[in-house]
Amino acid sequence: MVRLITHNLLACHAKGCTTNNFPLRLQDAAVELRDAEFNAEFVRGFLPRLEWKALVGAARELGDKSLPEEMPEMVDEEFLQKLHHVLLEIHIDEGAMVCPNCGHVYPIANGIPNMLLAEHEIA
Amino acid sequence: MAPQVTATIVDDDPQDYESQHVHAVYDEIAPHFSSTRYKPWPIIAKFIADLPTGWVGLDSGTGNGKYLPLPLERPTDIWTIGLDRSRNLLKIAQTAGGVQREVVWGDVLDKPWRDGAFDYAISIATIHHLATHERRMAAVQRLVRAVNPAHGRILIYVWAIEQDDLSKRSIPQSEATRARGEDVFVPWVMSKELQSKSGAKNAASPEHSHTTSQAIDPPQVFNRYYHMFARGELTDLVRGAAKGLSIHLGSPEDGVMEGIEIVQDGWERSNYYVELRRWRK
Repeated sequence: MVRLITHNLLACHAKGCTTNNFPLRLQDAAVELRDAEFNAEFVRGFLPRLEWKALVGAARELGDKSLPEEMPEMVDEEFLQKLHHVLLEIHIDEGAMVCPNCGHVYPIANGIPNMLLAEHEIA
Repeated sequence: MAPQVTATIVDDDPQDYESQHVHAVYDEIAPHFSSTRYKPWPIIAKFIADLPTGWVGLDSGTGNGKYLPLPLERPTDIWTIGLDRSRNLLKIAQTAGGVQREVVWGDVLDKPWRDGAFDYAISIATIHHLATHERRMAAVQRLVRAVNPAHGRILIYVWAIEQDDLSKRSIPQSEATRARGEDVFVPWVMSKELQSKSGAKNAASPEHSHTTSQAIDPPQVFNRYYHMFARGELTDLVRGAAKGLSIHLGSPEDGVMEGIEIVQDGWERSNYYVELRRWRK
């Protein structure tokens, strides 16, 4: 699956594409919501290493506006639940991720993102 | 009797060679392979069990995703994302342990992540499928760069020339192979029953071209390429990888800003392993 937890880690790696290659833009995303077990301590632990703006931007591209622009200073249970939902319950089953810098398209099919490059594109 | 491991020579472009003798084979044998791989080795289970809650990691060469559900005692405390070159194996990994997993179709020599994105990375029984020393070293470098420079942890397993008594495989050995490791084909025998189940019969492969009578056909054999590691070879790869990245190899010391430390290395059940930890001041 491609959930936003994974999207927050992926970057374009095509040859010569080393700046402005993150976050990948979501395109034609077919989204499905599926419950995942909530673990507040996992979400709290992962929070400091998240790229916050990238996450908020991607969630909004998918029509989810539950997260604030800035990471809140007060981290309570309600916030962690919202974050859990955005990170782990929105599944992109079909669509594509597009590099904001070089325009390379990484297709998503059956929930599997294709991050392979053609031979001439490998850095 | 099981077919024997045979010596081979990488006589082609290494990428094409891996494509033919590793990637294509795993795509073919995926369902069968998956039903035989299930038990995590103790050192791997412990490495994962000791990771702090909230950490996110990469399983580079995840195969059927058997490590994605770990740790079994507290399964949602960490998230491991699986990367593999075989899409058919990834389809199985997607639901490893009966839960939806995150998997990515990619190459262990690529780096489709932001630098240092992961807290940990494991690469189990994968790097030995790369056909040259340089490519194996590059794979180690990708792991080093995938993890956080201040605290990233890495665990790598590869097959050893030294096989234990329980192993069915016997490796041809000479003085030279004990020093440098050896390139071999390891046969994968697929029973008729599984061939029809997986549909592998119908796939393009040189071994099967005429399947008119099931009774007299020998079982289909797929040869997978492996580089069997010599003693010390994995540690040498790590040393070379660190040097190539200009990262100090060793424990934290005065005057050095960042480094990578070998936490443990050794041999377990026919494999060599090494555990690494990145540190920064």
